Amino acid sequence: MGGVLALPAQAENGIDLTYTSRVVGEFHQLRSDSPFAAGLARTGFGRDNGRFEEEVRGKLGPVSLLLTGSHSGQEGQKPKARLVANEVFIDFGSGADRFTVGKKILSGDVGYGFRPIDVVQREARMQLIPKTLEGIPNLMWEHYSGQQAWSLILANPDQNRGADASKDGSLTLRYYNRIGATDLHGVARYSSRYHLETGAAFSSVPESSLEIHGSFLIQQRGERTVPIRLPANANPILLLARSADDPNILVSESLKNPAKALLGATWTTDNGWSVLAETWWDGTAPKPSDWQNLARQTQIRNAMLGMPGIPAEGVSGALALSTRMFQNPSPTRRGNLLRVSWTDPAGSGWSTALDVLQRPQGGGWTATLSAAWVADKLRIEGGYRRYGGTTNSFYRLLPERQVFFAGFSLAF
Amino acid sequence: MCNFKTYCAARLPRWAVLASSPISLICLGRCDPSALHSNRSRRFFEVPKTVFLLAALLVSATSFAADVKTLLKQADEYRLNLESARVDTEVRVFKGDALDKTRLYTVYIKPERRSLVVFRSPVERGQKMLMLGDDFWLVMPSSARPLRITPMQKLLGDASTGDVATLTWSGDYDGKIVGEEKVGDIVCHKLDIVGQRKGVSYPRIVLYVAKNGSFPVKAELYVASDKLAKMAEFKMGNVDGRKQVTTMILTDHLQKDRRTEVHYLSRSAKTLSDEYYNPAFLVRAEIDN
Repeated sequence: MGGVLALPAQAENGIDLTYTSRVVGEFHQLRSDSPFAAGLARTGFGRDNGRFEEEVRGKLGPVSLLLTGSHSGQEGQKPKARLVANEVFIDFGSGADRFTVGKKILSGDVGYGFRPIDVVQREARMQLIPKTLEGIPNLMWEHYSGQQAWSLILANPDQNRGADASKDGSLTLRYYNRIGATDLHGVARYSSRYHLETGAAFSSVPESSLEIHGSFLIQQRGERTVPIRLPANANPILLLARSADDPNILVSESLKNPAKALLGATWTTDNGWSVLAETWWDGTAPKPSDWQNLARQTQIRNAMLGMPGIPAEGVSGALALSTRMFQNPSPTRRGNLLRVSWTDPAGSGWSTALDVLQRPQGGGWTATLSAAWVADKLRIEGGYRRYGGTTNSFYRLLPERQVFFAGFSLAF
Repeated sequence: MCNFKTYCAARLPRWAVLASSPISLICLGRCDPSALHSNRSRRFFEVPKTVFLLAALLVSATSFAADVKTLLKQADEYRLNLESARVDTEVRVFKGDALDKTRLYTVYIKPERRSLVVFRSPVERGQKMLMLGDDFWLVMPSSARPLRITPMQKLLGDASTGDVATLTWSGDYDGKIVGEEKVGDIVCHKLDIVGQRKGVSYPRIVLYVAKNGSFPVKAELYVASDKLAKMAEFKMGNVDGRKQVTTMILTDHLQKDRRTEVHYLSRSAKTLSDEYYNPAFLVRAEIDN
């Protein structure tokens, strides 16, 4: 039998590539009573979008590759074509010391919904059907000793400060140790934006069905985007009118020693059910008062629409710009996630999940129901996400009410 | 959950009960309850006979236990006869008679219960699973950090990677011979074995090994709740002049129209250095070679 069946293409000429074609569509519905309604035409909120991707993954001799060519389009905009080298790197070395040169995905932490010590890649979590991550240019030295390992990573060596924190030049030391049924992770990163960030995480399997995990990070400096502060004695209408054309209606606030922490557990049964519960704190996220401030300023801007002497274009522009506050990596400081999922243990390829993310202190909630089916080379997935909460909560301020999404991929 | 301790507690005391019961002693002697009340001289002659029979029983039990170990080791030889090896495996999942999907795995096995599974199919490319004794990690292509998973999570997926990566029983299981049974035309020892570790894929297996040759023929695989999950059949073939298991056919007990065939494409001696079995190493590209 061994001679009859052939191994996959691990070509002798050193080329070993797989190809994946992917089509993804998202269908967004705006919240009809959104306070940002007058500015939403200038934003991406509520626009259906889709993308077609061709991905090549594998090895060309010693070089590991992950390339993505994509055509993407958004309702009301021209389609865009893009070729991204997500990963191009060489891993080399022997024995205990190993090295990496090139662009490589460096994400990771022990959590699912929130990842405090993912300080190099800084991957956005809880996305619908995420795009393939783009790696970080880096030089890495790794050392392995028994069940321990450490790595020293010089990331974005040609940059001091990039467009976002993942593109900043940084030096990171990572540590790993396995102690019985527990993994311990440590990290220390230095960058000009956040200065020193230090953190630790653990993941433990105390018994065959249960995994528990936790993660903690403290930064010397943090940042968050918040609305401008209005002096108590200022006429808010005049102040906001002046700021209507000002792109700096949101400001980046500097924070001293903010912390992030996560605690979670996963319970899995032998009939395919799994329950994940996580709770977290992010000291770099906007406070409830920041969202209330945005709600109040939005209310004032809406009141200015149609006032004589105030250009409506400027007000709608300010409303559009103010929605950038939704781009904070964490929208609120606290989060509680419950994920109930099922994978057919008989191997039919079916899986389904319900995620409920609640944000205490008036942040609201989001619920996502999804299902996927994996066949021989095909993967089909789809789902529905809905946002809700009390008035002026984060998820009620979000200009969208719900999203339907679907994806189809073929690997060969 | 049925673990080894509770399993033993349920089964082994039978010997103890049998041996310590006065009625058992009498019956072993002459099967007459009145012997309890008989005179001393009669009991004096009864006891050596009883002790002899009890000793014979214990010796028999001990030899059965030894036989199980030996049989498991002999059965293992037909699945993997190398200490450190690379095993290339093709998994074919059938729905009815139609081939539903195919998956390819390379498994690197090293002593001390170390297995590294590299997923080779295009749809799973970049995934790896590491098993170190009772500890398990999974790496997804989008992550640079190994994810610790529970033994239960290891069972989930197309063809459980536990089925693919586990190629021996003797180090992980113990139990007893519970009888003889014919499977097809093959007369088999029927073994009831239980996992000695919490990380085994199936805490209990009823295994049928050929009486003549000790090769594995069939297995009933039970999950932690002691429910029968799968039936396994072993197909033998001639590989490089040796009789070996070439295919393991798994039938799902709940969805009987689903059948998984695990084809062992090649087994070769291969020893990866210890770094490869460090969970932090999983994200490195050297493993993909």
